[in-house]
Amino acid sequence: MICARCNKEMKPQKTDFTYLGHSFYADILRCPDCGQVYIPESIAKGRIAEVEMQLEDK
Amino acid sequence: MPPQLLQSTRSRCPICNASIRAERLEEDGRVFLRQTCPKHGSCSALIWSGRSDYNSWIAGGDAGFSHEPSCPDNCGLCSDHLQETCCTLLEVTPRCNLSCTHCFADGGEGTDPGQEEIKIWINQLVKPGKTLLQLSGGEPTLRDDLPELVAYARVAGCAFVQLNSNGIRLAEDPQLAKNLASAGLSFVFMQFDGLDDQVYQALRGRPLLEVKKRAIDACAKAGLGLTLVPTLVPGVNLDQIGPILHYALSASPVVRGVHFQPLGQLGRRPEPTCEEDRLTLDELVYQIEEQTGGMIRADQLEPSHCNHPLCGFHGDFVVLPDCRLMPLSRRRSSDRGCCGGKTTADQNRAFITRRWQRPAEKIGCDCQSEPRSLDGFIERVQSHGFTVTAMAFQDRYNFDIERLRRCSLHIFDKNRFVPFCAHYIKRDKPS
Repeated sequence: MICARCNKEMKPQKTDFTYLGHSFYADILRCPDCGQVYIPESIAKGRIAEVEMQLEDK
Repeated sequence: MPPQLLQSTRSRCPICNASIRAERLEEDGRVFLRQTCPKHGSCSALIWSGRSDYNSWIAGGDAGFSHEPSCPDNCGLCSDHLQETCCTLLEVTPRCNLSCTHCFADGGEGTDPGQEEIKIWINQLVKPGKTLLQLSGGEPTLRDDLPELVAYARVAGCAFVQLNSNGIRLAEDPQLAKNLASAGLSFVFMQFDGLDDQVYQALRGRPLLEVKKRAIDACAKAGLGLTLVPTLVPGVNLDQIGPILHYALSASPVVRGVHFQPLGQLGRRPEPTCEEDRLTLDELVYQIEEQTGGMIRADQLEPSHCNHPLCGFHGDFVVLPDCRLMPLSRRRSSDRGCCGGKTTADQNRAFITRRWQRPAEKIGCDCQSEPRSLDGFIERVQSHGFTVTAMAFQDRYNFDIERLRRCSLHIFDKNRFVPFCAHYIKRDKPS
């Protein structure tokens, strides 16, 4: 995966997510120069959506 | 300061059952429901102790009346009712193997309905893929055909089947829990009033703590999750709130939470306690924080969104590998507006079943994955979710129709869904 902004190869890196006051981390592809991350649909609709549901639950 | 009117509502005279007006009145920080009957005068019941701000707790909870409602005379659910069914309770026996001093169902003797009759009721009540059916009594484990009833309910389409039990037969016969789990039982609500046998002696007539622990063990071996259900009685076991929570956490993930039920003046009971002795929700929230040394904080417990805020609260947590609690819920401010905080019965059912059911595939996992990682959190919340909830039942002396109209716990009786408190108040005789 190549960063569209820097044209550098993105590499998996520990990345923090914050949602509703809770922080989690996961290895996500990130540009070594600008820090832009790539979140594939499978993670957005999978693990991230699951965490959102667990936190929002009611 | 003279009493200040907070809200007007409707009630029933506890003596003659006439439809009467009622008011929630604040006096020196405490809130009372004052019922006024033209024939029998006024009586007041404490509904808020002043431990926290009443107005922000109930924000948006009342709907108001455009006409005089007929509750509870015409219950089943009618056009005045504001909430759908979250949980359906079915009494499968009037018999009980205890003779408690307090029992809203006044269980004991009687004849069981036949199995075929119960199957007909299940067919009538089920909404396939949705229904959370609570099998209750009496003590439902006294029925030898209970596993068959569970299996039938699941085949008929009940998404979840809950057993409400005192745990005695689960302790005496460990195979029963396995049979119930195999039949499709989802989880157990087990009476659990404290960590001191004097409490059981006072409330249940015999020491039961070891029995309760054996029942938990039997459920653990069967892969069933339990929620502990203390009946809280002023002067008897209010000091057990903290010990129960600590014990429940130590028994996670088999124990999925604690569901507190402050005593209501319903069914079988000794002489009525002084109205001043009622345990209010704000006092319970305060005691939870106090008796857990702040491990569970008051602001982590939210007023019910599914029922009326004066009927209960919930807190959502994850038990971490070092036994600390990770809070997921946090009380929202009253900026939710008049309806932003309400939860549908479907949403509530999805939440409680996700937490109360023990996911089979997680049993036996090492459960040591890092809960701050995305994957670790998902695994941990599923395996070690933990709820702290409460439900304050109404009785003749604090009966508030605003509360009744938001009830989502319904008894299935004579082919009708009847709000829980309406059912037991109608069955109750004045003290």
